[in-house]
Amino acid sequence: MKLTIERAALLKSLTHVQSVVERRNTIPILSNILLRAENDQLSLTATDMDLEVVETTIAEVAEAGATTTPAHTLYEIVRKLPEGSQVQISLEPGAGRLTLSAGRSKFNLAVLPVDDFPVMSGGDLPVSFGLAAAELRGLIDRAEFAISTEETRYYLNGIYFHATDAEGTKILRAVATDGHRLARVEAPLPDGAENMPGVIVPRKTIGELRKLIDETGEAVDIAMSDTKIRFGFGKAILTSKLIDGTFPDYERVIPSGNDKTLDIECKGFADAVDRVSAISIEKSRAVKVVLSGTTLTLSASSPEHGTASEELEINYDAEDIEIGFNSRYLLDIAKQVKGDTLNLLMSDGSSPTILRDTDDLSALYVLMPMRV
Amino acid sequence: MARADETETDDDIFSPRKNDAFLGHEEAEKTILDAWNSKRMHHAWLLCGPRGVGKATLAYRMARFILSGGEADGGAGLFGDSPNGLYVDPENPVFRRIAGGGHGDLKVIERKYDEKKKRLQGEITVDSVRTVGNFMSKTSAEGGWRVVIVDAADELNRNAANAILKVLEEPPANALMILVAHHPGRLLPTIRSRCRRLNLGVLEEHQVVDLLGRCCPDMDLGDRDALSGLAEGSVGRALQLHKVGGLELYTELVTLIAALPNADVAGQHKFAERFSAADKDASFATITELLHWWLARMIRFAATGQAPREIVDGELPAMQRMAASQPLDQWLEVWEKINELMGATRGLHLDRKQALLNAFFMLEETMRN
Repeated sequence: MKLTIERAALLKSLTHVQSVVERRNTIPILSNILLRAENDQLSLTATDMDLEVVETTIAEVAEAGATTTPAHTLYEIVRKLPEGSQVQISLEPGAGRLTLSAGRSKFNLAVLPVDDFPVMSGGDLPVSFGLAAAELRGLIDRAEFAISTEETRYYLNGIYFHATDAEGTKILRAVATDGHRLARVEAPLPDGAENMPGVIVPRKTIGELRKLIDETGEAVDIAMSDTKIRFGFGKAILTSKLIDGTFPDYERVIPSGNDKTLDIECKGFADAVDRVSAISIEKSRAVKVVLSGTTLTLSASSPEHGTASEELEINYDAEDIEIGFNSRYLLDIAKQVKGDTLNLLMSDGSSPTILRDTDDLSALYVLMPMRV
Repeated sequence: MARADETETDDDIFSPRKNDAFLGHEEAEKTILDAWNSKRMHHAWLLCGPRGVGKATLAYRMARFILSGGEADGGAGLFGDSPNGLYVDPENPVFRRIAGGGHGDLKVIERKYDEKKKRLQGEITVDSVRTVGNFMSKTSAEGGWRVVIVDAADELNRNAANAILKVLEEPPANALMILVAHHPGRLLPTIRSRCRRLNLGVLEEHQVVDLLGRCCPDMDLGDRDALSGLAEGSVGRALQLHKVGGLELYTELVTLIAALPNADVAGQHKFAERFSAADKDASFATITELLHWWLARMIRFAATGQAPREIVDGELPAMQRMAASQPLDQWLEVWEKINELMGATRGLHLDRKQALLNAFFMLEETMRN
């Protein structure tokens, strides 16, 4: 293997892939990245055994070949090389060391055989379709906050993507829940996704995916099977395992008979919730919402710190109602609302509430009440 | 095979991860293969047997076989196994990845290396076991089965054992747990009852000789023979003995004992001296074991009259002389005392040299009385 590459290009690719590699690894091969040079391209592969990122960049390849070398060491070296320098990378067959030189600096890096490197890309991915990056970003961003972190219900530790029908239109849905709140976000179903299996994409993958979307933009090629999903961003490809479990029947928890509706100016409401909740410092951070006539009263109390309340003018004509929420959850949802008005659809003080952005009905949130 | 000594770091003269040699246990292998071929593979297997007979090697063999698709390799007659054995060619990519630790569908739970204390942890902690839950909750990386090897289940501490139970009770589909246990009786009964148990017995002496030859080709036949005699059917023990120079130690030990009751005091001092350094944990453990074993053999000889196999020349006459000098109960008492002394020496960090000299002295005294 022998190639020359610009430092900036190498650093950019390395920055993307090295974050996947775990820093503390007892197995040497897992702290390495795979370098493969062919057809005037250098591809870098990093994996943590759950997901794999491959990034390809242009390089002058004098001699094709592949090897693996410690990811973080390589990254540190390239980061510290002077800007604008040309990096030469070469591996003599049988030498057992990778030589990296730029200007008058020279490094010899330990290598491990390519055959030992984990493989994730094998296997068929029968379903494939394209999705606009903005669309995917929208699905992820509005659902991500509701992903559970609790390990016992591992099937909630990700976003559930599936194709479904809603009143005759085919849609792609992303659902996440932690048992207290649920986010259901919809996008038009892309061509080719009709037969997609329902897949639960793990949280860590979502995080890495989000980084890649931000940096590449444009369209994303998605391919998947029952056990794997791949996101292609042109030069970068992310392949990930899925969560092996059944996502609960979330439709059942979305109430259909809620009749008390309230439209409220979102920003003002969120700020008021934030202020009132300052008094309750316990983990639950409960706030009580009382709707009566044209007044909404927010209140919170804490045995040690005292009480707080704030009143808001509202337009409400249904029966009076008293309901408690976890303020943090309420704020999380308010944050997802891009329009001006938040719509709350309630039934009574002990039933789940539906929240929506009145300007954007593609997302729906369900929030369980708290006893206050 | 069994890992290297407790106190020393593992080097891989015969690491089961990389080892393709496997002898004996054809029965066990056949049981596994039958289960696999019946398409009703039990989700958890408990491989039991003494240390160093090939339990972990079998576990890795199973893992390699299943992860490479579970197709019996036609040309597997190489080591005299049945052609339908679990053999996977070392050049197979799956073999390579497992050996390098880079297979996404294999998770190995073993004691971790403690960076601060510079040695392996004494037990498997619950953190390691929790990663199994995470591993099992994800789909497989290469699209087939997922395999977890616990090496060894005896080393799980209480919390870890309970955590592993959780996985054993609700295994996902296409997942296999292989537990290796030196002392299955010490495991939680709830763990035992959820696993299909497979007992591996000790190896035949010629098999140990054969395996030794395969991993240490430069060892001469006489040494291999002697080592296999010392190891009593455990190739892991034979290798461990080889690593710390067990055969030389044994020869010297026998020479010193054979000289009794006319003790070679200078020789004893010189001999015992070498175990006193702090980094000689493994050698000291070996010598206590050897001493213990030699005396036990002598006592058995005296009791049954059946001459044991002579590993070092002059062993038998020494045993005879010793056995004739005192009645059996005396020797049993000495044997027990020496064991106690050695145990205390290790546990309380007493002076090892003095302990050994003391043991020699006890033997000498008993012979003189």
